[in-house]
Amino acid sequence: MVTYEKQRCWSILLRLFHWMFALSIVVLATTGFYINNPWAGNMIEGSRAWPITSYVRYIHFIAAYTFSSAVAIRLFLYIFGNKQERVLDILPVTGRNLKNLFSTLLHYSYISDKHDERLGHNLLAGATYLITFFAALFMILSGFYMLFPEVAFWQKWGVILLGSQQQARLYHHLVMWWFIIFSVIHVYFLTWNDIRHPEGLISSMFTGVKFKQKV
Amino acid sequence: MADTVNKTLDPQLNRRGFLKGCTMAAAALGLSDTMIPKLVEAAATAERPRVIWLHFQECTGCTESLLRGSHPDLARLILDIISLDYHETVMAAAGHQAEQNLLETVENHPFILVVEGAIPRKDGGIYCKIAGKTAMEILGEVAPKASAIISIGTCASFGGVQAAAPNPTGAAGVQDYPELVGSTPIINIPGCPPNPISFLGTILHYLTFKRLPALDSMNRPLFAYGRKIHDQCERRAHFNEGRFVEQYGDEAHKLGYCLFKVGCKGPETFANCPAVRFNDVGVWPVSVGHGCTGCTEPNFWDTMTPFYERLPNVKIPFAGSVQSADQIGKKILGVTAAAVGVHAVVGVGKRLIKGNKDD
Repeated sequence: MVTYEKQRCWSILLRLFHWMFALSIVVLATTGFYINNPWAGNMIEGSRAWPITSYVRYIHFIAAYTFSSAVAIRLFLYIFGNKQERVLDILPVTGRNLKNLFSTLLHYSYISDKHDERLGHNLLAGATYLITFFAALFMILSGFYMLFPEVAFWQKWGVILLGSQQQARLYHHLVMWWFIIFSVIHVYFLTWNDIRHPEGLISSMFTGVKFKQKV
Repeated sequence: MADTVNKTLDPQLNRRGFLKGCTMAAAALGLSDTMIPKLVEAAATAERPRVIWLHFQECTGCTESLLRGSHPDLARLILDIISLDYHETVMAAAGHQAEQNLLETVENHPFILVVEGAIPRKDGGIYCKIAGKTAMEILGEVAPKASAIISIGTCASFGGVQAAAPNPTGAAGVQDYPELVGSTPIINIPGCPPNPISFLGTILHYLTFKRLPALDSMNRPLFAYGRKIHDQCERRAHFNEGRFVEQYGDEAHKLGYCLFKVGCKGPETFANCPAVRFNDVGVWPVSVGHGCTGCTEPNFWDTMTPFYERLPNVKIPFAGSVQSADQIGKKILGVTAAAVGVHAVVGVGKRLIKGNKDD
C-alpha cells in the first residue's frame, strides 16, 4: 500500500496568474479574430445601430490589460516566487534540469516508464512556459505599439523592433497562433499526466497542493 | 488687383490666391489664424530661400502633383516663395548651363535641398546617372552643404517602389545614406504622391519660425503625419457600428460603408489625407470608395500588399509558397491535433498490450 501526502506547491499568486492568463487568452483570441475579420456585418444605420466593433475592441483591450498584469505577476514570481516557481527551477542549464528534460522526453515518447518526478514543473513543460512567457512579452509590445502608436516610447521601439503598424499587426496575428496551439498541447498533456500519475496535477492549479508518495 | 503684396511675385498670382495658399498651409500646420499674417510676411519677403530640387529614381509624380494638383495659385505660390535654382522638370537651363547653376548655388549660397526619388546603391550606384555622375555622387556633393533636406515622396523618404523586393538596384531613401548626407537635418514627406500642402506647410514653417517642424520617429512632420488615417476617417462610424463593404460594388459599397474588410490600410497609415484632402475639390481615396494603400509608410509595396487583403501573406521558408497567416495557423493546428491524437492512441495501445505499469 502506497501512501500519499499533501505537499504545498503553487502559491495563491501563481494560481491567480494562471487563471488571469488563461481566461484573458481565450478572450483575446476570440475578440482578436473578430477584430481582424468582423463577420457580424450589418446595414443598420441611425439610432438603432449599436457600436459592435467598438465594444469588441474595448473587451479586447480590457483582456489585454489583464494579460499584461498576469505577465507582470509571472515575472515577479520567476524571481521572487517559491522554489517551484523560480526561473532556475525550469531553465535547462543546470545538470539536474537537463537530466529531467531528457527523462521527460523519453517518458512522454513512451520509451521509458521511469519518471523523474519533481514537485514543480517538469522541464519540458517549464521550458515551454518560458517560451510562452516571451511570446506574451512580444504580444504586449506589439499590442501597445498598435494601441498607442502616437506615444513617443511605443513609436520609437515599435518602429525599431517591428516596423510599420501593418507589420506589427501581422506578427501579432501570427504569434497568437502559438497560444492556440500551445493550449491544445497544454491541456492534452495535463490530462495525460493526470491519468497516469495520481498527483492531482489539474486540481493543483486550483488548490495549490500536489499529492506525492510518502518516503 | 494683382500683385499688391510684393512686386517680385508672379503677376498672375493675385492677392486672394496668395492669402488662400498661406491660410491653407496654416490650417495644415494647425496654427492659429493670428499666425497667418506672419506666414504671409515670411512668404512675401524679398529674400527668397534658394532651393535645389534633385530627381533620382522616380516618376516625377510628386512634382506633377505639386504643379498641377490644385488650383494654380498653390503651385505658383510655392514657386514664388522659393527660388528654384535647379529643377530638372521646370528649369529653363539645359546641359552644361544647368549643371553650372547647380554648382554655383551649392558653392556660394545657403540653400534647401529637395530630393525626389530613391538612390540606388548596388554596383556603385550605376543604375541612376545624371550628367555622367551617379545619384550617390550627386547627393554626396550637394547634401552636406544644404541647410536642410526635404525628401519629397515615399521614394526619397524610404525607397518606394524601386526598393520593393527584390530591389534589383539596391534603392534606398535619402536617410539611409548618412555617410553622404552628413549632419544635415532630413525631413521626410512621404506619400505617393504626398499632399502639396504638407510640402508648402513645411517650407512656410521653416521660413516663418526659422526652424524645422516637429518630427516623428521616421522624420515625418507631425502636423501632417501625426495621426492615423483611420482615426480621422469620415467612414469611421461605419467601422465602429459594424457596417462593412464585403466586396467592391456591393450594396454596402454604394452606401459608403467602411472599407476595412476589403483591405483598407487606414488603420495602419499615418497621414493627413482625410483632413487636408487633394486637388482642391475635397477628395481623397477613401472618399471616392477605394481603400487606403498605406503609401506614406516605409516599404508599403512589400508590407501593405495585397492591397485588398487585411494582412500580408507570409512566405513559407524553403517551400517557396505564399499563404495567409490564418491558413498557416490552421494547418499547424491541424498537425498538432493529429499528433496529439496519435500520441494518445499509442499510449492506450501500449497499455492494452503491456498492462498498466505506472504507479
